[in-house]
Amino acid sequence: MLIRLSGGRVIDPANGRDGIGDIWIRDDRIVEPAAGETPDMVYDVTGKIVMAGAIDIHSHIAGGNVNTARLLLPENHRAHVARPAATPLSTAGWSTFETGCRYAAMGYTTVIEPAVPPHLALHSHLELADIPIIDKGTLSVLGNDDFLLSLIRDGAGPAAIADYVGATLNASKGIGVKCINAGAAMAFKHNVRSFNLDDVVPAYNLSSRAIVEALQQAVMDLGIPHPLHLHTNNLGIGGNVETALATIAAARGKPLHLAHLQFYSYGKEGKRGFSSAAAELAEAVNANANVTVDVGQVMFRQTVTISMDVLRQFNAMGTASPKKSVIYDGDANGGGIVPFNYRSNNFYNAVQWASGLELFLLINDPMRVFFSTDHPNGAPYTTYPDLFALIMSREARASWLADLPQAAVEMTTLPSLTREYSFYDIAMMTRVAPSKLLGLRDRGHLSPGALADVAIYHDDPDRAAMFRFAHLVFKDGDLVIRDGRVTHYRFGRALKVSPTYDSAIDRRLSTYYDDVYGISPDLFKVPVEALGRENPFGEVACGR
Amino acid sequence: MKILVDGAAAPLEAAAAEAARLLEQAKLPLIAGLAADIAGARAAIALAERLRGAYDHMYSEFLLRDLDVMRQSGQFVTTANEVRVRADCVVLIGAKLKTAWPDMLARLDLSNPARFDEAHAPRKIFWLGANPGDAEEAGAVKIAAPSSELPILLAALRASVAGRKTRPDAHIDGKLADLAVQLQAARFGVIVWSSESVGRLTIEMIQGLLLDLNKKTRFTGLPVGAAGNVTGVGQASGWMTGFPMRTGFGRGYPEHDTWRFEANRLVDSGEADVAMWISAYGNEAPRWKREVPYVAITTPETQFAYPPKVRIDVGTPGVDHDAVEYVQNLMTLAATDARSASDAPQVASVIRLIDEHLTKGEGAC
Ligand SMILES: [Zn+2]
Repeated sequence: MLIRLSGGRVIDPANGRDGIGDIWIRDDRIVEPAAGETPDMVYDVTGKIVMAGAIDIHSHIAGGNVNTARLLLPENHRAHVARPAATPLSTAGWSTFETGCRYAAMGYTTVIEPAVPPHLALHSHLELADIPIIDKGTLSVLGNDDFLLSLIRDGAGPAAIADYVGATLNASKGIGVKCINAGAAMAFKHNVRSFNLDDVVPAYNLSSRAIVEALQQAVMDLGIPHPLHLHTNNLGIGGNVETALATIAAARGKPLHLAHLQFYSYGKEGKRGFSSAAAELAEAVNANANVTVDVGQVMFRQTVTISMDVLRQFNAMGTASPKKSVIYDGDANGGGIVPFNYRSNNFYNAVQWASGLELFLLINDPMRVFFSTDHPNGAPYTTYPDLFALIMSREARASWLADLPQAAVEMTTLPSLTREYSFYDIAMMTRVAPSKLLGLRDRGHLSPGALADVAIYHDDPDRAAMFRFAHLVFKDGDLVIRDGRVTHYRFGRALKVSPTYDSAIDRRLSTYYDDVYGISPDLFKVPVEALGRENPFGEVACGR
Repeated sequence: MKILVDGAAAPLEAAAAEAARLLEQAKLPLIAGLAADIAGARAAIALAERLRGAYDHMYSEFLLRDLDVMRQSGQFVTTANEVRVRADCVVLIGAKLKTAWPDMLARLDLSNPARFDEAHAPRKIFWLGANPGDAEEAGAVKIAAPSSELPILLAALRASVAGRKTRPDAHIDGKLADLAVQLQAARFGVIVWSSESVGRLTIEMIQGLLLDLNKKTRFTGLPVGAAGNVTGVGQASGWMTGFPMRTGFGRGYPEHDTWRFEANRLVDSGEADVAMWISAYGNEAPRWKREVPYVAITTPETQFAYPPKVRIDVGTPGVDHDAVEYVQNLMTLAATDARSASDAPQVASVIRLIDEHLTKGEGAC
């Protein structure tokens, strides 16, 4: 099948392109213009905006904790549109099916679920297999597991740690490694109630910093494209910018991805001891080229926080709205589900909202700041279109700012920021940068040979409307969205890495599991046949 | 393996076609039983949507006891692994724990100190409302109570933990006061219960107690799931529709109502005019009272009160075929290899075949 997308404004920063032109698709790939051949289909996209499919690097779309949140909050997800489904289960609020449909409708074609406990990997992959259209990937979470902490404590050395990380990624079929409040979940099991970068895990005599350094090194040694994805300590606490700055320094120039930085951008100014320190933090990010961040923007509405930072979630139980939380002490990390309502008339929430936008606007390089709401922690991914509108228009921001408590606005620099993201910047941030960060060489751009994931938008001055419902979306060259509606289901793949490691560690792990848990680690396996889809996985190359 | 249409042997294709015809002409088709592996549950829920029917599980009642408390007030929860390696204090509650989880004592390794307990002392074990002999076998201090008294007992315990006195019974008061002291002295304690043998009020009290205990120390809960993979089916239901079982698609989108979509009520009230009964884990037959026509997808030994219109026998997940199911020992979904593989049909493949014979809508799975 040869397709020609004719006459659109093609925005493809990977190729330095922003201009009127054609894109050709043959089967599942972008190809050079096929001179002399008549395309099977021509779409006239004159006046439309043509980009590669968007890639979300951090969105909690699947897994045990997400599903617990669904079951905890039936009142939050009545069918989002009370109308019969055009495709199966697509109107089931917050279902896996709805997730695939709504992401695709926004022009997203790849989404990473960033928090998979290795022991719950099968569950996560089963849910991902029921998300239609988009490709997915998972980050395997380490950093609170006895085996790793013991290796570090006992001085096993970087090679053994890398072998263990490699074996875990292999078994849980992840695309990268995430570390969530390193050591804190373990410390919480010892009744520790707060945990800093240099606090020590009882019984291991190991600091959070030491765990992060070890994992960071292991990811590099294994040649995994995505750097260690870190959720650092003290999330959400006034004055925690110090922790974020210390974490950036702790990276020692090595690649590090800091997740949902907005939640660490708080100073202690003002009479409430809570202010935005986003400007200072953005400066640190600008000065450290080894660091990438995603924002974790807050938007005003009811949501639910789902985090494997069980210590933080426990401490946040008092803020739950409605008043019910789940606190889960898992095999390693566990997690907490705390419903939350961000309100625009709340001082703290208003500061949070503004500081996220400050990060977007003050971090200069769109290749190092990633678009996220930490779905659903800052806001559901369905608010993305509104967020695009905010970073693209200072006028839009001014009208929101006018409704916020003045005391909160004074704690931020947002009113002074005039920057507006262009389409080109947006495409860098949501296409080019994620493909580079994850090592997805054939995505995020429209060069010949690239996967034919293409999103075409109306150039609607209402940017939120534009990004909510794409005009056309192609996944692997297959038209899946027409005017915001799913045309049909297809099922994508979960992208994973297969790093090379010394398999002696697998035998050692068998002995360990038998000794400690009285079971085989094979019980936690993720067999391809169990997922009930053809080709549920796709491979991402590692390179040392 | 029997395949029957109106009691007479039939080819699988013909049985599937007849099942499809029957389901499709119903005003409100009901999918009940639903004791299946994850693949079977996914296919069944997708079928319910396509038919604009409703679905329920034979043991939803038990799952909903835990879920109702959770969605009312939240939950503290942990895993079998964590209890095994960390719990220095274990409170077992209810009479039928061992029936619900035969592996419990061995899996939790209660006779040995917890490996990661820093004091490495023998565990303190208590059993409230045990069956005769159970507490002794577990090496537990026994606090006798009939199931109906557990909520009051736990309320008193909670009061005692909070430093209040509420109960005039000096003997029990003394025992509970002592238990309250032990709970507060725990480093990482756990309460274990099964919703098959304790009611919603008891679970509410357990969760309230856990909330109070966590103000000063660490304490968490270990719910034991009921039979028929009900916990696993509840998970699949959650990600497919956002809701647990007792969900209907009559309006074209899922609505969850634990009363409206209870299977026996739907049948007995006459609202459901055709049913599908799925029981792949054991020989359970439907218990509704009205003789609604139904399709049975069950294990071969199942005895019915009245014959199904269509009967297709299936194998048992994890026995006849590889399966994904909720595994209590792991507290998550796991892939189980067939213990004695056979070519018996599976729930998912039978439903897919029925689905192919439907004329309306689109299959999801
Ligand atoms: Zn996150």
